[in-house]
Amino acid sequence: MSPWALQVWLGLALSIVGIAMHRTGPAFKRHRFGAPVALLGLAVMLVHTQELPEPEAGLVQAMVDSMFWVVPAVFGAALVMLGAPLYWKSRPWALLAGWPLIAVAWYEVYAVAAGTSPSDFPLSLAALPGAALALLVFALCVRTAERMVPPEPVTEPLTERERRYVESVLSRHLRGDGGEP
Amino acid sequence: MAVSPELVFAITAFTGAAALTSLCVLLALLGTINPYHRPAVPLLGAFTVIALATYATAAAHDVEFGLDALRLTMAEGVLAIIMILPLAFMILTVMLLRASFRKRPEDPLLALLESESGSA
Repeated sequence: MSPWALQVWLGLALSIVGIAMHRTGPAFKRHRFGAPVALLGLAVMLVHTQELPEPEAGLVQAMVDSMFWVVPAVFGAALVMLGAPLYWKSRPWALLAGWPLIAVAWYEVYAVAAGTSPSDFPLSLAALPGAALALLVFALCVRTAERMVPPEPVTEPLTERERRYVESVLSRHLRGDGGEP
Repeated sequence: MAVSPELVFAITAFTGAAALTSLCVLLALLGTINPYHRPAVPLLGAFTVIALATYATAAAHDVEFGLDALRLTMAEGVLAIIMILPLAFMILTVMLLRASFRKRPEDPLLALLESESGSA
């Protein structure tokens, strides 16, 4: 395997590790290195000084082509979630900026779809049961691993101090005021 | 027996997505490792799925089972996922539409916390 092909797979691995790191911790305080590691992985995967061999060349080309709609889709979705009254305090400017970006992303999706064979999409749906099978195997493995561990004794109830701390964390973050007391 | 290119495409999408998802599981276990993890059995399961998927892809494409077949499997998995990403984007768009017009419901946990504080 050429070093350039290896670079693509290293970048993919870094991106996945970064996303996994980002998902750790509570929703209001994500892992600080998650996003930078994921972005570094994306850059390592996509930036090359030499021509790539197959199948990595086709893979990187497809990723670059999809960026034209994925990037506005991600930014648009992030802005809409920031502005939506359901998740946070309502911010109309974020909604007004996010929805045009999502519209641009859909326009680009149609532009990309026009250049592909119509029969490829239904055949690609076979990826869904493939991913589901892998997740099912993972779930069964986790269940097996958990069953191999002897049960632990019942946990002691929280002390008054711990209870007050948990209450303050929940009330700060459930009210959607950004954690301000 | 001759296998149609469409069937090979579908098999490759299936095996590629299975292998790629298992790779994500492996790397997610690595990226979130902590003292409470018991990763041995899930790692074994993910490696098994990757090996079986690579074997099936190698057989469908008539290539030798090995590193090249693994690269082909993973690449085809990424391509298949990219192909169906617009479907996920469609579902996300519907969810964002609903989120844009719905008010945040009163959280029952907050009321519970307030009543607990009042009774304490």
